[in-house]
Amino acid sequence: MAEFEPKIIVFACNWCTYAAADLAGTSRVQYPPNAYIVRMMCSGMINPSYVLRAFEDGADGVIVSGCHYTDCHYIDGPVKCDAMFAKLKRLVHILGLEDERLKREMISTSEGTVFARVVREFVSELKRLGPSPFSSLRNSRKEKAVA
Amino acid sequence: MEEVKIGVYVCWCGLNIAGTVDSEEVARYAGTLPHVAVARDYKYMCSDPGQDLIKNDIKRLGINRVVVASCSPRLHEPTFRKACRDAGLNPYLYEHANIREHCSWPHATDKNRATEKAKDLVRAAVRRVYYQEPLEIKEVPVNPNVLVVGGGIAGIQAALDIADGEKKVYMVERDASIGGHMIQLDRTFPTLDCSECILTPKMTDTGHHPNIELMTNSEVEEVSGYIGNFNVRIRKKPRYVDVDKCNSCGECAKVCPVEVPDEFEMGLSMRKAAYLPLPQAVPAAFAIDKRGTAPCRIACPAGVNAQGYIALISQGKFKEALELVRRAMPFAGVLGRVCTHPCELECERGKFDEPVSIRALKRFIADYELKTEREKVVPIETTKDSKVAVIGSGPAGLACAYDLIREGYAVTVFESLPRAGGLLRYGIPEYRLPKEVLDNDISYIQELGVEIKTKSPVEDLAEVFNQGYAAIFIASGAQGSQKMGIPGEETSGVIHALDFLRMVNAGVDIKLGNKVVVVGGGNAAIDAARASLRLGAREVTVVYRRSRDEMPAISSEVEEAEHEGIKIHFLATPTKILSRDGQLSAIECITMKLGEPDASGRRRPVAVKGTEFTMNVDNVIIAIGQTVDKTALPKELNYTSWGTLEVDPVTLQTHIAGVFAGGDVVSGPADVVVAVAAGKEAAISIDRYLRGVSLTEERQVTPKRVENVSKERAQLKARASTPLLKLDERKGSFAEVELSFDEKTAIEEAKRCLNCGVCSECLECVKVCEQGAINHEMQDEFVEVEVGSMILATGYQQFDPSVIPQYGYKKFDNVLTGLEFERITCAGGPTQGRIQLKDGREPESVAIVHCVGSRDQNYHEYCSRVCCMYGLKYAELIKEFTKAEVYEFYIDMRCFGEAFEEFYKRVSEMGVNFIRGKVANITDRVMGEEERGKLIVTAEDTLLGKMIRVPVDMVILCAALEARSDAADVASLFTIGQRGDGFFLETHPKLAPVNTPTDGVFIAGCCEAPRDVPDTVAQASAAASKALSLISRGKVTTEAAVSYVDESICHGCGRCEEICTFHAPSIIRTDGRLVSSINEALCKGCGACAVVCPTGAAQIKHFNMQEIEGLVDGLLEVHRG
Repeated sequence: MAEFEPKIIVFACNWCTYAAADLAGTSRVQYPPNAYIVRMMCSGMINPSYVLRAFEDGADGVIVSGCHYTDCHYIDGPVKCDAMFAKLKRLVHILGLEDERLKREMISTSEGTVFARVVREFVSELKRLGPSPFSSLRNSRKEKAVA
Repeated sequence: MEEVKIGVYVCWCGLNIAGTVDSEEVARYAGTLPHVAVARDYKYMCSDPGQDLIKNDIKRLGINRVVVASCSPRLHEPTFRKACRDAGLNPYLYEHANIREHCSWPHATDKNRATEKAKDLVRAAVRRVYYQEPLEIKEVPVNPNVLVVGGGIAGIQAALDIADGEKKVYMVERDASIGGHMIQLDRTFPTLDCSECILTPKMTDTGHHPNIELMTNSEVEEVSGYIGNFNVRIRKKPRYVDVDKCNSCGECAKVCPVEVPDEFEMGLSMRKAAYLPLPQAVPAAFAIDKRGTAPCRIACPAGVNAQGYIALISQGKFKEALELVRRAMPFAGVLGRVCTHPCELECERGKFDEPVSIRALKRFIADYELKTEREKVVPIETTKDSKVAVIGSGPAGLACAYDLIREGYAVTVFESLPRAGGLLRYGIPEYRLPKEVLDNDISYIQELGVEIKTKSPVEDLAEVFNQGYAAIFIASGAQGSQKMGIPGEETSGVIHALDFLRMVNAGVDIKLGNKVVVVGGGNAAIDAARASLRLGAREVTVVYRRSRDEMPAISSEVEEAEHEGIKIHFLATPTKILSRDGQLSAIECITMKLGEPDASGRRRPVAVKGTEFTMNVDNVIIAIGQTVDKTALPKELNYTSWGTLEVDPVTLQTHIAGVFAGGDVVSGPADVVVAVAAGKEAAISIDRYLRGVSLTEERQVTPKRVENVSKERAQLKARASTPLLKLDERKGSFAEVELSFDEKTAIEEAKRCLNCGVCSECLECVKVCEQGAINHEMQDEFVEVEVGSMILATGYQQFDPSVIPQYGYKKFDNVLTGLEFERITCAGGPTQGRIQLKDGREPESVAIVHCVGSRDQNYHEYCSRVCCMYGLKYAELIKEFTKAEVYEFYIDMRCFGEAFEEFYKRVSEMGVNFIRGKVANITDRVMGEEERGKLIVTAEDTLLGKMIRVPVDMVILCAALEARSDAADVASLFTIGQRGDGFFLETHPKLAPVNTPTDGVFIAGCCEAPRDVPDTVAQASAAASKALSLISRGKVTTEAAVSYVDESICHGCGRCEEICTFHAPSIIRTDGRLVSSINEALCKGCGACAVVCPTGAAQIKHFNMQEIEGLVDGLLEVHRG
């Protein structure tokens, strides 16, 4: 059987973490293709329901990442994101998911290598942890391509 | 809704994508997805033919949703949105999949998985675009003003370009003059034209240009708004010189007593605190360098400007120094002797070796006046109608009277005793404070016009008001003596210290026995003990109930008392006074030990049972404290539980309007300087009271303490101690014990001062400025400007080579940085352009070390780009003006610019030695005679493959150009990015080199990366043309992806209003119910409101829940009906 390849959804703010991922690419820093980035305008825009949707859809891990506190394009988005994240963490816990499946990061525009490292480390952590308990749900709902 | 027909376009980006991702396969897959009407792949989607594919499909096939899978949307999303728009499709019906930066590039090693991921990304984009809605695009006008930050060559060039285009420029420069680093350079490579000659005209143009508003000493504090419409708040720091009035005559600098290293000359010469920033300064005006208030001045309760008078003493300006002390308070002679000098505890010099003898210096200038006889003071004219009465002529009363008379009030001081001075006269013995000194300080106050009525006790306040006084200050002191409350206290021969000192000071003949015991540990106890000795007592013992550490008396006084033979019995307290035949005979004491700390923080003494002992005595003097004598005060007043007068702690007003009180009568017995401070506070209150303004508003101004006082140039030097009267001359005499400095010592001691605040505010400059241009009271000013675009040209800083210890910078005199050498070769510099060593000799050999801090993984990995060329320039100049041998230590020669290679060739032909190798070490450890007195540069010559040692006289380090240490703060202020090396990040290194991620903010010059003058100028002009093109376009489109509220489900709870940083939502009443309404002009589209909205009414256009959740479902291949 093929090795388990976790699916990771990264909710990233447009100004910092998304740009950091761009920089990682531009600099040809290599990291495994398990992470998918959802571009948000600000980490303060990330609704807990989006993260729960990702888990419901069978994501094995989710990263919520934006600017550092001082870099925010919208002044205090990271603070708002922190408040949302604290609630989200409790919800994820209640759902019975391992705490390790949800990460909060701050990665700035210039930190392309940090982005790559974070993904790399998360992939190996999730491989240790195994598939999300909800991933079977995902398989049952898998989109059928129109032939 | 019309049928959704999606067009998907997968780009190859040459091989950038297609080399890893199978673009054809991705397009084929996209064609199988629901609602996809057409899917194509193409080599370069961003090219015209690529864009035409989209346009044609929209027009011909009726495609109404578009997905392009290519590079980052941060690069080409605008391109494809525009293509859609051109073809008549709303650009918000477009979605971008990033399969290059997020896929082909970082996953280049796994083509299969990269292709699979690209399919996932495309599928998700298709799902998202299905839900996307057309948005209305609005346009707003562009404000035609431009902000330029930084006044170096980049800022100057950009500002002139824009101003010449008839647009308004606000230029903000942090320093006192524009010019930046370029004006520090002597000559510029490779043409060797002098930098001053080519830059000065541009500086002058900038200063005089009608379209440029130059703000020096200024910094941007806050930026808000968006492209075309920025609001900028600028802090203009005070220059303390009115630029319009100053005619650069330089008189202020001549009289300024404070010298600091000249930054413009790289610290190779000194400048004054009042200085012209550089010879060709623009604006052409002097400036005064204030770094904050010196700690000594802050520590002084009376606010005496210690740094100021010490600076003046250091220049031999003793009279002026005393004048400065008297600006704060009248007691230079008194406080020069008896002050507890809190200033010295805070003195920064104390952190280096020992604090400056501040008190003794004050005394010196007061004594100097006594010695030279002061001129009669001109009385101050009364300008105010109200008269003020002061009760008590001690330090508090007189300090208050002194401040009030200088405000123009008529002041009368009422004193119950025969002479003025209070405790200063009747409490402190003459050997500590000679009457002549006190009289001089008091007569100065009287000569100003203060009337002192002695033998005039005041019993009734109403009567004072009836005499026409509009306000009263009570400063009658704490005259009562605290009783011990032990048996025998009333025996004859027992006397209280205050009574004793009063008699001594009044010249009453007192007969003391041989043995005297003084009880107490304060200054009064030590004064009484030492006075007893002088009156003939043979054996004087001080009994104090705690230990030496807790003793409140001035420690030097205690030491002197012990020198004079006084014994101190610590940890004992009297229990009984014994008498024989009604005559005092002995005192019984008990030993104490220290227990827990009490309210004062000192450990409370506790009696040890059964340890009583007796001492035979002839006299006992009790000095255990003073109290306020209520019987001597007017009846109407209230008292605290401590028995002191009750007043408001800030205003010092009693419960009776117009009656104030301060000094010991309020605080209980305290230091003289504290009493003076209280008098000054009362004067402020009384003035405010009489002018009818609030006593409290804006009263407390906290001075800004200077930070980081440089001790780099200080040399160890012990503090001067005052001479003392010989021990055998003290017996039986009240001659002063501590003596004054001589002039030479005073000046030397004053020179130890580190001048913490730089400008000492001695105000000598104000006296000599004929233009009246100097104003030391200037404050920060804030200016708000509106601009449409901003150009950042904040420059670089030179790498500090002292972090590379093996290069010996700052250790060896003749190891210099590039900028230091620039100043040395400059005709206007510290050596008038003569290339010389520290000792003035001409060097016989010079080493030029390239790549110091650059191309070095320990410091900066990048190349600083200019060092090779300026290193060659130095070689050229040294060869031209000296006979020295020159060695260039380089890693690679990078001579890439116009005429650079030719210059390299020319310098090579001048006989310069080029050594390829990085310098390992610069040392003064010689091996052999030929190296004696030289600096030895060791390196591996990589062409010869061996280590070499080159003895030279001078080493020039070509230090790296690095990002400014506060670049991160600037980046965050303007919301732009930085690279890992700290320089500002451009939008694209090749195609958008002066743009930043924040539209409307451009960058130019060395803040973006190290570069030479020609490149900087080119980039500055590029930034200017970007700004001008924006202005000429005249309008920009605003963000359409803003917040909206579905009123039908909004409850008007107000959470959106609460969380929004930009005040976009507000709760309004519509049809009788509360709902949220969004002001789109204020909304930035950050989406915080949607997160907190409990009903889902608040959503962000283009980022609504359906779109995002659709994208997530798509990524994870989940199908929901």
